Amino acid sequence: MLRVEHLTKIYPNGTTALRDVSFEVNDGEFLAVIGLSGSGKSTLLRCINRLIEPTSGRIIWNDLDVTAAPASELRNIRRQIGMIFQQFNLVKRSSVLTNVLAGRLGYNNPSQSLLNYFSPADQKLALENLEQLGLADKAHVRADSLSGGQQQRVGIARALMQDPKLVLADEPVASLDPVLAHSILKYLEQMNKERKITVLCSLHFLDLVHRYATRAIALKEGQLVFQGLPKEIDDAQFKAIYGQEAERVTII
Amino acid sequence: MAFLSFVIPGAGQFYLKERGRGGSILAAALVQFGLISWSLNLKVAQWTVGRLTTSWLWIVVGLFWIWNVYDAYNITQGKSGSGLIGIFLTAFVIYVIAWQVTDIRLDRLVTRFGNALKILNDIIHPDLFARDASGHWIPSENFGYIFGTIQSQPVPDILVRLKLVSAGTLIPGYQAGKIVETIALGLMATLFSTILAVPISFLAARNITARIPGGVVIYYVMRTFLNIVRAIDTLIWGLIVILWVGLGSFAAVIALTIHSIAALGKLFSEEVEHIDAGPIEAVTATGANLFQTIRYAVIPQIVPPFLGYTLLRWDINVRSATIVGMVAGGGIGFFIIESLRLSAYTQYAAALWAIAVVVIIVDYISAKWRESIEAGVVQTSAAKPRPFYTSLRAWFFIVIGVAAFIYCWNLSGIDLKALFEPAPTFWQLIRSFVSFNLDPEVTSAVIAQMMITIFQALLATTLGGLVAIPFSFLAAHNLMGRSRFSLVIYYLIRTLFNIVRSIEAILYVAIFFYWVSFGPFAGMLALSLTTFGLIGKLFSESIENIDSGLLEAITATGATRFQAIVYGVLPQIVPPFVSYSIYQWDINIRMATIVGFAGGGGIGSLLYNNYFPFGEYRSAGTAVALIVIVVAIMDFASSKLREKLI
Ligand SMILES: Nc1ncnc2c1ncn2[C@@H]1O[C@H](COP(=O)(O)OP(=O)(O)OP(=O)(O)O)[C@@H](O)[C@H]1O
Ligand SMILES: [Mg+2]
Repeated sequence: MLRVEHLTKIYPNGTTALRDVSFEVNDGEFLAVIGLSGSGKSTLLRCINRLIEPTSGRIIWNDLDVTAAPASELRNIRRQIGMIFQQFNLVKRSSVLTNVLAGRLGYNNPSQSLLNYFSPADQKLALENLEQLGLADKAHVRADSLSGGQQQRVGIARALMQDPKLVLADEPVASLDPVLAHSILKYLEQMNKERKITVLCSLHFLDLVHRYATRAIALKEGQLVFQGLPKEIDDAQFKAIYGQEAERVTII
Repeated sequence: MAFLSFVIPGAGQFYLKERGRGGSILAAALVQFGLISWSLNLKVAQWTVGRLTTSWLWIVVGLFWIWNVYDAYNITQGKSGSGLIGIFLTAFVIYVIAWQVTDIRLDRLVTRFGNALKILNDIIHPDLFARDASGHWIPSENFGYIFGTIQSQPVPDILVRLKLVSAGTLIPGYQAGKIVETIALGLMATLFSTILAVPISFLAARNITARIPGGVVIYYVMRTFLNIVRAIDTLIWGLIVILWVGLGSFAAVIALTIHSIAALGKLFSEEVEHIDAGPIEAVTATGANLFQTIRYAVIPQIVPPFLGYTLLRWDINVRSATIVGMVAGGGIGFFIIESLRLSAYTQYAAALWAIAVVVIIVDYISAKWRESIEAGVVQTSAAKPRPFYTSLRAWFFIVIGVAAFIYCWNLSGIDLKALFEPAPTFWQLIRSFVSFNLDPEVTSAVIAQMMITIFQALLATTLGGLVAIPFSFLAAHNLMGRSRFSLVIYYLIRTLFNIVRSIEAILYVAIFFYWVSFGPFAGMLALSLTTFGLIGKLFSESIENIDSGLLEAITATGATRFQAIVYGVLPQIVPPFVSYSIYQWDINIRMATIVGFAGGGGIGSLLYNNYFPFGEYRSAGTAVALIVIVVAIMDFASSKLREKLI
């Protein structure tokens, strides 16, 4: 279980990106985070694994206080939380396999991994994950020779290598076309259902939220303005989240 | 408004919201005014009216003034004339002064033409082969000096100790020649400077220093340091280093390394600043520690571009290694100085040819290698690549590499002990160097020679560029037809460019002082020759890169080839030509700072002939400081100007 308590983030330049945000996520949920551009979605997700230091508030994950964890414990927590990015964030010049294996670094002896050594078990696991994502034949090609959808699948495989209990996905489909968007979200859904991995995923399109999420929260100017089931987002809620002028749009 | 411009040039335009125009006019007027007043006591453009001696260039300034008033008047009338007249008048003043200050004597080109023929004859008959007693052609003695000889030498000690051969046995061995030594110098300097530039570049990268306390200070200190060191040419470093470790190959390696560290440090740090933060974030998020993050997210991003720059630097270092010996000793530069001292021009010619061959080969290897790094190894098969230690080829290269390293180390006379035992004069030099001599006679001499250097570079860029233009059209694939005749011309001119640009300007000075005698004119001509090769290649490549659609369209209208060039090609090539010329002027100023070492005049001759030999290190410090300032300003201005153009 993940508990976010009174989380506030003020950037050094004075922007308040999150304002006293509190909510809970139960194990096994697929929680969508929605909100306009600039509402603080990315900041929220990055505060959870402390890629960004919160200004105040607490994040409790399975009774561990993430916000108070010292460096080594933080790494221990991070390795159990997978992360997927809008821009995929692969090392472009490295091979797909190396990118996937990087997901294992938190578990490995640092001095061994500096020599690019990964145990046969790790290698096998990486190939299995790639196989599951339909990329078995791409293991040794350079990451930047793949298409966007394929790169995002490598990103998912990298997260899976961590054997995560929680996955943070920051607009994982915003750089992809609608067909690919569904295929990527289906992989996330599959992870969520079959491996019982909790998913926190920020999304732009409401129909994707309706289709995949079990619950949703909404941010507006850094504040939590909605918390509930996706189907509870009616027109009034919608306007409250996205502003009066907003129109609903649908993608296939 | 016109009146405003009459009082202060450009003021009217400025007031009329033509800020850029007004500013440029004022700047141009100040440049003209400054240059003319400065050149008055150098007896430039003298004009005696009665008892008054002044410069006739003031007439041109007057014309400029009138034009500027007229221009302001035009703007008030809502017309905007072209600025060409103003540019032309300003350029006229600059070129007249440049012409006289650099002591251009066109008559000598003709009256001493015999000398030109003589030296040309020597150059096409380099001392490489000679007839032996029976009349066969064999490599001459000079060939051996340059390329090396096979000589009997004692067997290595280790074989004797192993009792494989008896002591005193002689075996044939290779005695390296000067050009081989030059290659070794270039390799060692590249290796050392790469290793040292890596840590420095991290400290000069904004995104890294932002993470450490006091980083901003470190960043600016490192950047300034790199810029200063880079502005000082390898040969000037050579003058300083010989006081540290003494004359010889080792001094040459150090001088090359110092300059190269700064050049690489700048390029590397820019590369570090451009790394993609995304993968770093992603790898951190997996729970990796700092070292793992660097290993998996940073190193893969920087190693290929670093390697590319190192290869580029290797090419440049081999070129510099051909001349560093002129002051530091070691390599073919030293050999050339010795030959010139003995007026052995055929030996000098042989060295030039050897340099051309080596530099062209190194240039080619480096370019091909960089291309393949740029493309990256895009493996598309699913097969797992074999780890390198199982590949015989990899081991072959490792063994060759290690052997080459040891060989070059010995050949370049590296003596690390010497680094810690500098001559006492060295400390004196360091101390005096930074306490500049600001006596009026020193500063005025330094400024005058610096102006000559700048003008030399300007004239050389103009001359070399103008001559290169027609040639560059003939060396452009897309303009030349497919006939056999035009292909022959194409390859001939390309080869000419490649040979000419492979030799550093300073090495050409000897040809021209033989022709027109010592001084800035000879230096300017030498610079022009290298410029011709360098800029000719750039020009012809930019012609090849033009959009051929337009050319086709114009040819399709039934235009002749000449018309097609005028309407289809010219408009597209003017911006890159101007941009390359500015770039070349920047490079030429750097080269012009050293042509004086070989008798080509300018600030280099002041350093080499007047200050260093007499231990006037304080004055030398002043000259070097001015070089740093001018080079830095040119570097900055040229990159800003070129950004605007493209
Ligand atoms: N490093 C930073 N420094 C200062 N302000 C920042 C920084 N990163 C984000 N912000 C600001 O914080 C606010 C929230 O940004 P955030 O990136 O979390 O929004 P988002 O909901 O993810 O938007 P998007 O949908 O565009 O990705 C914005 O106003 C943004 O400008
Ligand atoms: Mg975002």
